[in-house]
Amino acid sequence: MENKASSHLLKYGRLVRPVAGTLIGLFLVWRLFTVLVIERNFSADTWVRFGLSGLILGGMYALIAIGYTLVYGIMFMINFAHGEVMMLGAFGGYFTFELLRYIPAATPENPDLNFLNAHPIISVILAFAVGIFVSATVGFFLEKIAYRPLRKAPRLILLITAIGASFFLQNLSMLAFGPQRKNIINPDILDRGTGWTLTISGNPVLISYTGVFSLVLSALLMIGLYILVMRTKLGRAMRAVAQDKNTAYLMGVDVDDVISKTFIISGVLAGAAGVMWDIHMGLVNHYVGFLPGIKAFTAAVMGGIGNIPGAMLGGMFLGILESLGPAALGIDFQLKDVIAFSILVLVLIVRPSGILGEKLSEEKL
Amino acid sequence: MKTATRNGFQTGITFGVIVVTMFLIGFTVIGAALVAKIFGTSVSSGSIPPLPFFVIFISLVGLWNGATAARRPLTGADEFKPALVAGLLAGLVTGIFSAVVALVFGMLAANKIDVRTYLVAISPESIKMYLFGQDAVTGSLLSLVLLTVSSVAGSALAVTLRTNAKVRGFFQKAAESYTNAIHSERAIKLRNNPSARYAFLALVAAALIILPRTWGGYWNYVLGTVGIYIILGLGLNIITGWAGQLVIGYVAFFAVGAYTFALLTAPAPHHLMWNFWLALILGVLAAGISGLLIGLPILNLRGDYLAIVTLGAAEIVRILLKSDLMTPYTAGPRGIRDIGGPTLFGRSFTSDVDFMYLIIIAVLVVSFLAYRLQNSRTGKAWVAVNQDETVARATGINAYTSKLLALALSAAIAGLAGALFASRNQFTGPDDHQLMVAINVICLVIVGGIGNIPGVFLGAFALKGLPEVLREIENYRMLVFGILLIVMMRLRPEGFLPAKRPALEKNTPPSGQEA
Amino acid sequence: MQACIETRQVSKIFGGLTAVNSVDLTVPEKSIASIIGPNGAGKTTLFNCISGYYKPEHGQILFYGSPIQGQQTFAVAALGIARTYQNIRLFGDMTAIENIMLGQYPRFSANWVDAILSTKRERNEEKQAIEEGRRLLKFVGLDGMGDTLARNLPYGAQRRLEIARALANQPRLLLLDEPTAGMNPQETDKMTHFIRSLRDTLGITILLIEHDMRVVMDISDQITVLDYGTKIAEGQPKDIQSNQRVIEAYLGPGGSTLTRKYQQRKKQRHDAKN
Repeated sequence: MENKASSHLLKYGRLVRPVAGTLIGLFLVWRLFTVLVIERNFSADTWVRFGLSGLILGGMYALIAIGYTLVYGIMFMINFAHGEVMMLGAFGGYFTFELLRYIPAATPENPDLNFLNAHPIISVILAFAVGIFVSATVGFFLEKIAYRPLRKAPRLILLITAIGASFFLQNLSMLAFGPQRKNIINPDILDRGTGWTLTISGNPVLISYTGVFSLVLSALLMIGLYILVMRTKLGRAMRAVAQDKNTAYLMGVDVDDVISKTFIISGVLAGAAGVMWDIHMGLVNHYVGFLPGIKAFTAAVMGGIGNIPGAMLGGMFLGILESLGPAALGIDFQLKDVIAFSILVLVLIVRPSGILGEKLSEEKL
Repeated sequence: MKTATRNGFQTGITFGVIVVTMFLIGFTVIGAALVAKIFGTSVSSGSIPPLPFFVIFISLVGLWNGATAARRPLTGADEFKPALVAGLLAGLVTGIFSAVVALVFGMLAANKIDVRTYLVAISPESIKMYLFGQDAVTGSLLSLVLLTVSSVAGSALAVTLRTNAKVRGFFQKAAESYTNAIHSERAIKLRNNPSARYAFLALVAAALIILPRTWGGYWNYVLGTVGIYIILGLGLNIITGWAGQLVIGYVAFFAVGAYTFALLTAPAPHHLMWNFWLALILGVLAAGISGLLIGLPILNLRGDYLAIVTLGAAEIVRILLKSDLMTPYTAGPRGIRDIGGPTLFGRSFTSDVDFMYLIIIAVLVVSFLAYRLQNSRTGKAWVAVNQDETVARATGINAYTSKLLALALSAAIAGLAGALFASRNQFTGPDDHQLMVAINVICLVIVGGIGNIPGVFLGAFALKGLPEVLREIENYRMLVFGILLIVMMRLRPEGFLPAKRPALEKNTPPSGQEA
Repeated sequence: MQACIETRQVSKIFGGLTAVNSVDLTVPEKSIASIIGPNGAGKTTLFNCISGYYKPEHGQILFYGSPIQGQQTFAVAALGIARTYQNIRLFGDMTAIENIMLGQYPRFSANWVDAILSTKRERNEEKQAIEEGRRLLKFVGLDGMGDTLARNLPYGAQRRLEIARALANQPRLLLLDEPTAGMNPQETDKMTHFIRSLRDTLGITILLIEHDMRVVMDISDQITVLDYGTKIAEGQPKDIQSNQRVIEAYLGPGGSTLTRKYQQRKKQRHDAKN
């Protein structure tokens, strides 16, 4: 009797997916239709503005999402503390800028000049170097201290450890640096208000230098990562470990070393994303990593977890959806985080293996 | 000797990092204040405790450092010398860490640079205390010396306690007499004697009836919170402890229960003012159904997806509650006030004592449910799914519905806790339902003993009760929870009171009277 | 005699690999049938198809005449098909008797409401389950070890416990995946004897995968040989022993000539001795 009831339930459970998918699809089409065709609250320049900011945000999400996907593919765990790794990188960049601002570099014409503005390119490079170093170090030690002793433990234990690490890092930086948000002062040439101006349907649209800079840099980093994974010996070892740890070990791959390096690589990408966040968003506190972290995880799932191009695509896609979504659906901008989380839930309901499909060995499912 | 040097060096670096971190987050002041509290001197928050307490605090850290450095395995027949070397080395390394930091911040303070713009916890007073009231150079040297000396003392103490026959004999004897006392015939007889059992139950019952009347409003508030967290813990234990699925966004169900209850009983925004009990039941049901709905599409996927999806759901719930969109329906960020209290036969019971009784009854009911479920056919199926889902399926268990049931029950219990919480506070708002609540619950279940009912009680008292008593560490609570999660997973993943399986072959279970 | 389990043209494909290729297999009721074949021949895959873990791409699986392919594992188990695993898979953190009680799961019906209310049904079932559990423990020779955690049991005991868990479901068909793996000759003999007694005393149909040819030849009523997913031979033990294709599958091409020479030489030596 119970089995019958449960098999009914299972049938409904299977039905949930297509039914929910169709309903939500219809709702979205209806909303889009009302907003775009009937109401027309926004003109083309607004859409371009939203699209641009989405693209820039998407680049950062993509960088963080790659970190999730790399670690999930290899260790088969959600590195919940990855957002915090990015946050610490952002702090690294912030402190570098602040420090450089205090170093005088006075010239006869300009007695108030500081190092930050006197050598902006060096300053930005330094900030990235420090941010990336901090994040990579945190990622390395996180794996070494917290995760490595649990290599053979059940997944639940790893996940709980990762949550613990996330809260530890978040609260540590809150206690040390204070809970209030800190403004980041960029070098003058990268001032957030400046950029190229386009005129679209009669209104100016600002393409900020910081945005272009972030986008180009994230694209370069992604290309670099792709080459690393596909063309180098380390990349080959990483892919081997992701496929089958034991066989890779028998083939002479130093699994611990590969995992360690994977954490360093994801730390590097997260650190770069953190400093980009500094430069483009201009605000940092202990909480900046948490939401982007979860959203980047969403992006990784959306692209198919374990799949590197998927994570890149998912990140870009999520950033754009999040920026355009509130306007396109005609809802409040307060609710843009709701859009990201709804996407997470929807992706898992409708297509849990992601857009590009997962690249995981069967034992990991 | 080589191990000793390595141990000493490693421990020294670890403790060095710990000491520096403590200084950076201002824990040196709090630590000294805690020491002061032990000695009966109360220090008001924000002020600096007297210097001697700080010295004691740092020495305690040093002692611990030395004791850790002197851990086994040490080479050589004589443990004493290598242990001292390890202690000395550890102390020196830690001391150098500390001294460098002291020197840097001492210099900065001497030049009147306030670092609080960047490091909020480091006030000039706390730097002064860290330097023992001296100038930068002397202070940092003192720090080095104190840490080294205390570390050596710590290693000496550890080795003495470990190797001294007298001390070891004392501990062994104590342990032996304890086990003897527990397993002695008289103790077993007493435990199996029904009248002794009833006497014990009566004693507990009397305490539960009398105490809330006598210990006053403050304790009723604190222990009421503990009780609500026990309920939450027992609920989470079903899905996480038994069925093995982590639910990070557990607070979402808490919120659903609280808001359903609040909206049904509060005068604003809907003016429904329903009966307490009816609203309570509806709150529980609403939470249970929300659990079912979240579980339906997710539970046949990978386990860790549930964790993230519920996290997403919790954040959606919180953001929606705060948003302007929902303000007409849920009162928005200001929250719901004047939530109804319990009534019985037309009389209302809303004093703190009444609520304490209500919470005690709820805790008893929920733990009774949990006990009944624990070793039942359903409970066994949960544990089986947790341990090996493939095999569980092959033995005829429908893992999907089994997990779904566990999630729905967990969610319903969270809803009960939410409703009680809202009713007791007569208020609920979005900030009552932050992720911290769920992390607290996860933490208490894990620390107490995952999958174990007494463990949940222990965890709730330790993690929710203790911080109320130790008000000083309030700000550090989440930090400590984070560390606790990492450390527990590494050293004792089964918790302080691990779950035990019943002996079914020997004893037929006494049906229904375990609770 | 009625067929207990029957596969008709069953195929299972993983990506480009056909792990099981149009296999026909008929096991009569109350018989002991073996599946043998080299490593990677698709034996365990076939088991997984029967027990519902995999859904075959083609073909039909009939259990007493009714199709079961593509059904959920738990539903298949409830029909009376139980199995053991190549690498023992017990619920390690539960006691031996609890493992057996989980094996009984589909036969009982007390749900969570019964558990909370402690209804008559729940109490009766619990009592029956424990009694039966004790009986099964005794049957497989584990009485007195019932309250030990399964992972703390010795290897042989774990194997027997796994079989006891499978038997707890009162199956009509028992799938044994290498039941004597890792056993010494004495233990193997005991296990062979035990398997035969299962059929004789309980009337269960048994389908097993085994690498130990001595065991296979000793207890099987019928042997099916798989190679690269395809059935290459079927018949009684003595037919299989002399089947050329089987020998070639195990030893490679030319294997049968080798074997024939070996047997001739053995015979010569035997003759010379006498």
